[in-house]
Amino acid sequence: MVPYEYYVVLSALLMVLGLVGVIIRKNIIAMLISTELMLNAVNIAFVAFDFKLQEVAGQVFVFFILTIAAAEAAVGLGLIMAIYRMKKDVSVEKLTELKF
Amino acid sequence: MDLSVIAFWSFSTLAVLSAIGVVFFKNIIYSVLSLISTLIMVSGLFFTLGAELVGALQILIYAVAIVVFYVLVISTVPEYKGKAIDPKYMLLSLPVGFLLFLELAYVSVYGAWASNTGIFKPEVLNEIGNVKAVSTILFTKFLFPFEVASLILLVAMIGAIILGRKEQVMDEEEVK
Repeated sequence: MVPYEYYVVLSALLMVLGLVGVIIRKNIIAMLISTELMLNAVNIAFVAFDFKLQEVAGQVFVFFILTIAAAEAAVGLGLIMAIYRMKKDVSVEKLTELKF
Repeated sequence: MDLSVIAFWSFSTLAVLSAIGVVFFKNIIYSVLSLISTLIMVSGLFFTLGAELVGALQILIYAVAIVVFYVLVISTVPEYKGKAIDPKYMLLSLPVGFLLFLELAYVSVYGAWASNTGIFKPEVLNEIGNVKAVSTILFTKFLFPFEVASLILLVAMIGAIILGRKEQVMDEEEVK
């Protein structure tokens, strides 16, 4: 059996990759996709610690994170659609004003 | 070599490679396809940890529903013409991210974590199954957060409908 620390290290790697993606991407949709990567890293850590602590509460929290991710994708993509309809652009360099 | 070890290394390697693809692919469609690959591999990792319910939900909700949202929005927004990656942020963020990863990995491997105190020993889980264990905890200890999650989904649905309305288009027609 693989030690659970490896799962936590993998979770850290996915978290850092998602963070780098949020920082370096210019397309706002790609930034949201990188956020999904970070949420998945958290899920892996929860399930790995469940395995270690012989609990199932972390898996319940993974369920909640899935719910929040669905809500986040719906609202975030709705916002992107609204922004695109007003500004005709999804580049973060053009979206620098709070007021349209 | 144990089968679970092979499963862990293959799933984790493919997950990391797909995650690198998500971050560095120029074309956004390739990024979304890599995201699907990452999600399925993460689901496989859940299965290797014995979390069947969460693994199945990961495929059903993430790899199907959420990715379809992204594909729909990408099909509506025209192709992004500019540079995909900002080089001046990449120079800074890659070393900092690597250092952050080293720190997190060090803490993960050498850190002193709490010992196992849970009630779901492997024998218990073998007897009642993972799905029954998770749902028992979900509907007893976490019943109130479960109800709040349904409320959050309702609010998100109403918000997405209001944000996605074509009010601005109607305004332009009125002006004409």
